[in-house]
Amino acid sequence: MIVKGFKNVFKRELRQMFSRPIYLFATILIMGFCYTFFLSLMQQGLPQKLPVAVVDLDNSTISKRTIRELNATPSTEIVLVTGSYLEARELMQSGDIFGFIVIPKNFYKDILTNKIPEVPLYYNNSYLIAGSLVYKDLLTLSVLGSAAYERAVIQKRGVDKENILPTIQPIVIDKHQMGNPWVNYSVFLVNGIIPGIFQLTIIMMTIFVIGFEIKNRTSKSWLKKSNYSLAVGLAGKLAPYTILFIIIGLSGNVLIFKTMNFPMNGSFILFSFGTILLVLAAQAVGIFIIGLLPVLRVAISIGAIFSILSVTYTGFTFPIEAMPPMAQGASLLFPVRHYYLFYVKEALLGAGPSVSIIHLCAIMSFLILPFVVYYRLKEAAIKMNYSIK
Amino acid sequence: MKKQSLIQHIITGLNDLKWVYINEFKQIFRDKGVMIIFFLGGMLYPLIYNSLYMTENIYKIPIAVVDNSASKESREFLKKLDATPEVLLKESCSNLEEASDLLKRQKVHGIIYFPKDFHSKIAKHEQAHISVYSDMSSFLYYKGFLTATNRVMLEQSNLIHLDRYNNIGTYGYNAQQLSRAINATEVALFNPGGGYASFLIPGILILIIHQTLFFGIGMLAGTAREENKKHTLIPDHLIGKGIYRVVLGRAATYFTLYSLISAYVIGLIPIIFNLPRIGNIWEIYKLMLPFLLSTIFFSMSLSIFIKNRETGFIAFLFSSVVLLFLSGLPWPRSGMPDFWRYFSYIFPATHGVQGYVKMNSTGATLSQIRFEYIALWIQTAIYFIIATFTLNYMVKESKVASENINSED
Repeated sequence: MIVKGFKNVFKRELRQMFSRPIYLFATILIMGFCYTFFLSLMQQGLPQKLPVAVVDLDNSTISKRTIRELNATPSTEIVLVTGSYLEARELMQSGDIFGFIVIPKNFYKDILTNKIPEVPLYYNNSYLIAGSLVYKDLLTLSVLGSAAYERAVIQKRGVDKENILPTIQPIVIDKHQMGNPWVNYSVFLVNGIIPGIFQLTIIMMTIFVIGFEIKNRTSKSWLKKSNYSLAVGLAGKLAPYTILFIIIGLSGNVLIFKTMNFPMNGSFILFSFGTILLVLAAQAVGIFIIGLLPVLRVAISIGAIFSILSVTYTGFTFPIEAMPPMAQGASLLFPVRHYYLFYVKEALLGAGPSVSIIHLCAIMSFLILPFVVYYRLKEAAIKMNYSIK
Repeated sequence: MKKQSLIQHIITGLNDLKWVYINEFKQIFRDKGVMIIFFLGGMLYPLIYNSLYMTENIYKIPIAVVDNSASKESREFLKKLDATPEVLLKESCSNLEEASDLLKRQKVHGIIYFPKDFHSKIAKHEQAHISVYSDMSSFLYYKGFLTATNRVMLEQSNLIHLDRYNNIGTYGYNAQQLSRAINATEVALFNPGGGYASFLIPGILILIIHQTLFFGIGMLAGTAREENKKHTLIPDHLIGKGIYRVVLGRAATYFTLYSLISAYVIGLIPIIFNLPRIGNIWEIYKLMLPFLLSTIFFSMSLSIFIKNRETGFIAFLFSSVVLLFLSGLPWPRSGMPDFWRYFSYIFPATHGVQGYVKMNSTGATLSQIRFEYIALWIQTAIYFIIATFTLNYMVKESKVASENINSED
């Protein structure tokens, strides 16, 4: 009986799915596009060849050498050498460069006569990532310049070769970037954004396929196929999407972690299990929203607000604990937030299941939501007692 | 004769425009969903994002210390590190395993480790090493922790440096000059605090205008296509050659509304939340003119894909995130593959965000963002033409549908 009902609804939904392009567009095409887009957009890992300028007021051999050295760093590219500060500043305003360095007049002479020349480094933090990278490069250059000078002087004074480096740089910092030794920005961003869009797609689709029945007054004929059991009806209706989304999610995992070799310091299988749970949790949220507000247009708007906010609340760019305390608690309401924490601990930091599994439990807790609205949704679907507007 | 008919023509045209203009207002104010998107969306989203990112930066990132050296030097280093705004020394561990366990649980977001020989190496004039381990789950943890550690390292290095020169008989200015031949002064010309809100919100404000317009117009079009099967809301003589009047009239309606909403979003919000605003606001409004027009015509053009009231959200909600990245704000354009860079030129949002950020956050004048300004006007022209074609198509489609229904009756 149940099996037959499930089969009937499942078949009915498959017909629906292929009847209009929106169903496949809003699932396969969107996710395919997003994987392609985000993985290829940040392919470089670190932005390379960020445009910078040099304002050379000295025009000496040493200022020319500085320019050559700056050009040799991989992340910056000098697009302009000029004698005018104003010109460089204007280029920065028009966004053509992200920073510039000013080599002052008498730079070389000052060094030779033991004066300390001031070298201002200008950078544009309106583009935070580009600005910080350019700043880092310009600073390194000036530090290296100082060191080169110092090396030359103390060498002349007869300091032993093995003592030069410790003199110039007495303390060295060895950096260990846990999980992302390349400081690859793709790793920072991809595993936060894509799950966010994935969750968005699932929630919106779930609201749509259920709400569309209520709106078109076909929900009764839908539930008739499952003998008026909402549980069977929902299962049959959503199963095609569950399967589709799980296939998309797992293929995405293979693409990201196996083909593109993003860091996976834990169990790929366990992580993929998390992906499956995310699909189910997002569907549960979708059911909850349309159950609570069985009017398609209202539910869609609420779903949209929830989904867009969840991208921010994933916390992969701006950490949740940096938000005002009042706003922090809300992060618990988004399945993708728990999924992200699960990803960080299981895949990025390799903390192991004993630490990461708590986040899986959190994702699982969203599966209770459909039961909360079960009767309300059933009433709405059978009696169709809500206005459609 | 001919002259009169031209005047006649213009008068009819203006009357039609007025009719469409007023009628579209009625459509909007009659529709709760569209009102929510235009007004509530336009009003609330800027408030929400601003309050989430209000702190601008992450302070006091908790880190763990493993100090095997326990020397004067390491303690001084740690004291100074703890005094930085970025870092908070939260845990003290006896070994790296313990600290690394805390990091993996994200109880701390960084570890600083002093080896046993830290002090003796400094004393013996060898290079002393410190290891730092950072949590890479967010760029801001990494950046904050490393910036602070580097600053303290440079400061301490410099002290040791001077000390050593003193020992070999070089004092005062000479020693200083040796240890720092070039004095680099850093000037963050724009967004000097490196704040996250100051960086991202200006772009988000423009996207909010773009997206609420897009979804609102899409919803109006979807509703019209869904509900007007039995009658078309456009007078017959406007179909075909006259359709541009409908496009213009509607655009005028959206433009009127969005002049107000934009004034709130880019005129008021930056003041309320103290965001960067060093541009000339009147020049920024001049940029908003082609931005709003191109966004309106762009949205009307794309309405052809929206067949139901709700499908706009289903099909295009994800674009909000994609457009942010295409705009070149979070990820610099120079680092984008060529294909995506050219692709981004299709959307008014790209030029709008770029133009606005340059004017608002870095004080560029209109002539400095000529590229974006001209691009937006070109888009206005192109999308206007496309919008007339798509609207004509949609009207004809609904006419055919209503005729079919009539013949069935």
